Amino acid sequence: MQDFLELAVSAAASGCVYGLLALSYLLMIRPTGIINFAVGEWAMIAAFGGYLTLSRYEWPYPLGMAAVLAFMLLLGWATERIAVRPLVEKGAPILAPILALLGMLVVFREAISVSFPPDPHPVPFPFGLGRLEWGPLGGSYQSFFIIGATIVVFAAVWLFFERTVAGKSFEAVALHRRAAALMGINLSRVTALSFAAGAAIAGLAGLLVSPNISAHYLMGIPLAIQGFTALVIGGVGRVEGALLGGLLLAFAEQLTVRYAPIASGFAQGVPLLLLMVFLLVRPTGLLKARA
Amino acid sequence: MNSALRWLGAIVLLSAAAFFMSDYHNDVYRKLMLWVTLALGYNFLFGICGQVSFSHFAFYGIGAYAVVILLFQAHLPLPLAVLCGVVLCLLFALVVAIPSTRLEGFYLALATLALGQLFIVVLNEGGSVTGGNGGIANYRLPDIFGVHIRGPWYTAVIATLLVGTLALLWRLDHSWFGRACRAVRDNPEAAEAMGVNVARVKVIAFTLTAVLAGIAGMVYAFVDNTVNPPIFGIENAFLLLFMVIVGGAGRHAGAVVGAVLLFLLPFWLSPIVGHHQALIFGVLVVAAILFQPRGLIGLWDRFSRSRG
Amino acid sequence: MGSILQVQGLTKRFGGLTAVDRLDFEVREGEILGVIGPNGAGKSTTFNLIAGAYAASEGEIRFAGESIAGLPPHRIAARGVMRTFQHNRPFAGMPVIENVLVGAHTRFAAGLWSVVLGASRHEEEARREKARELVQFVGLAECAGADVGTLSFGQGRLLEIARALAGEPKLILLDEPAAGLTPAETARLAEIIRGVAARGIAVLLIEHDMHFLLPLAHRVVVLNFGAKIADGSPDEIRANRAVMDAYLGAAVN
Repeated sequence: MQDFLELAVSAAASGCVYGLLALSYLLMIRPTGIINFAVGEWAMIAAFGGYLTLSRYEWPYPLGMAAVLAFMLLLGWATERIAVRPLVEKGAPILAPILALLGMLVVFREAISVSFPPDPHPVPFPFGLGRLEWGPLGGSYQSFFIIGATIVVFAAVWLFFERTVAGKSFEAVALHRRAAALMGINLSRVTALSFAAGAAIAGLAGLLVSPNISAHYLMGIPLAIQGFTALVIGGVGRVEGALLGGLLLAFAEQLTVRYAPIASGFAQGVPLLLLMVFLLVRPTGLLKARA
Repeated sequence: MNSALRWLGAIVLLSAAAFFMSDYHNDVYRKLMLWVTLALGYNFLFGICGQVSFSHFAFYGIGAYAVVILLFQAHLPLPLAVLCGVVLCLLFALVVAIPSTRLEGFYLALATLALGQLFIVVLNEGGSVTGGNGGIANYRLPDIFGVHIRGPWYTAVIATLLVGTLALLWRLDHSWFGRACRAVRDNPEAAEAMGVNVARVKVIAFTLTAVLAGIAGMVYAFVDNTVNPPIFGIENAFLLLFMVIVGGAGRHAGAVVGAVLLFLLPFWLSPIVGHHQALIFGVLVVAAILFQPRGLIGLWDRFSRSRG
Repeated sequence: MGSILQVQGLTKRFGGLTAVDRLDFEVREGEILGVIGPNGAGKSTTFNLIAGAYAASEGEIRFAGESIAGLPPHRIAARGVMRTFQHNRPFAGMPVIENVLVGAHTRFAAGLWSVVLGASRHEEEARREKARELVQFVGLAECAGADVGTLSFGQGRLLEIARALAGEPKLILLDEPAAGLTPAETARLAEIIRGVAARGIAVLLIEHDMHFLLPLAHRVVVLNFGAKIADGSPDEIRANRAVMDAYLGAAVN
């Protein structure tokens, strides 16, 4: 039991990172139906941004973080403008922007690979390396920071969708694009915003996870897979589902590594197996969308 | 029967070229033809049948590893090893394809992505069976009827594989089956109403192309006489998709053009971009989708139509 | 004329809503049966039930003596029931003639092995000839090789019909084929439908527009609120008070 509580906090922190990535996917899928597999590369770019602003130029953490997130908002907007909007306006089938985004994924990754040497680049911990004991639970400062930041983001997004007019118009677009357009909702503005927000949230995930694993140009795809698995587990219908999916995935991973009698390398197989199983058996996820 | 002669003629031509090339050029030529073979199969699945998949290279790898493991660890005779390899690909393909028939579009792609990645994990963790992340090396193709096939003769084997794959896919394409595949791609609901068993078409297309990839993999295993995990990973899966898109999805000629171009491009570009040719590929794919969705072949069509 | 399609006690419920309520009617060989009714009367639902797109909650559908209720659409097509779609659904990546050939899918006898061995070319040519005839029959001969994207809306409707006929059906289901057509196109369509029936193919036609349907159909079934309110020849229907009330009632509402 002690063991379990030990890993509970770090698993929860991983789960939060996956949840943020799943949220990023969700924000873009709901109004457009587009699966943007480049979210992992977005997280990777933000991690490198963190390396640059915080390690190389040693800016104070809040400033560095704000700068990186602002850049991500712009990057998300630009991605939509380049790879999505022209296709949507042309009436191309939905597969077209999805594949174009795969091309962008490779462009993003190679752009970083060209600009930086191939070894991992360190990103500093905002609160240092200390540990916090909170009753029976214990974890690093970073883990608690990740959990806290994630809760704030999810709360904000949830409130946005539930309580604001702008959020309701998002929902409307998600439910029926044409009807929403007829009601005067500006479809391309909603799409641009969803991509900008998606990039910022994926970027936040990258910033939060990179002190532990360092910024590396190959970190994108595993994150993209884990984020998508979390999304599939939790279901696209509800914002909370993204977080639930992330937590379930993280706990499944950590418990498998800890207690299953197989080599640790197989831990990478956990999200993959879960993804395949959920896609083939229960593609709509665990949580049902609100009617 | 003159179409059979034409195919035979193609094999002879492609093979003959090998005898006039140096060893180095033969090696490049062999790999080029393998990529073209893979692209033709992938084009059938993606371009003609509309199924996005990232597991093509996994099946390539299953074929390659299976034949090597069965030959040199289980010590099976070559024909049996080949047969078992084919059956393995068939079984894995069915296991993925049958439940996937109800998945839409990109969700299938992600299931295949997961499969592909799982395959790599299994390879890396396979210990002495798969050779872990170093793979398996230092073996050679067993003698067939006392003859050791190598050098330009092995290139001829690959040329046969390529032409055979093209002939098979060509015939299937120009038949009710190819038409059914396109119908499934363009409008599955209408296809169903016209009598097409959509699920069955998807399963057949997926399984057939998976087995073709597996057979290509078996041939590949003896090209470098080494198999290791990175070859079968997601990088190459993306590259295959990009080849077909840039060349022109849905057309066999498109698959050939795309494969040749994207395979040879790094050789020409390496003085400029070093190992980062993927950057160019990414840009080409985005450009193709935005400006010329019918790919280079579509561009060629437009050009020849305006001339004639 | 024998009966080729019998619908008995057909019922479809969506949750609490009964869209089709214990419907009974039949279609006879070679006849044109019109199904009319105001919006929401259950015409489309009935159509989709027969075509296999929906599963019936209760009741029976028999075609050529065998039950087809619960069969998936592709099996129903193989039995000889082909359909068109209300909103044109062409196969965008193929020219017109190939679209029509997809309709003939269930009529190809060659198995995959024959195809691979190159033995199916004669059949392919024969079917292509038949498809050309059909393209000619509906009046699209000049467009046979064209991309479906170049077709006008009216031409697209004709393609739907040619494609369905390619399946050599004994019964063809037409879903509001006149919707959105010009008067000239509508007249042409009526001629084509008469031509289809003349070939011995039964036609079940859903229509909203009584002016198009009544001169064309041999018999008419009128639906309202999911149930049959009248059944007879066009003249009988014209004289039927209940039908007029249903339409006028709907118009007022």
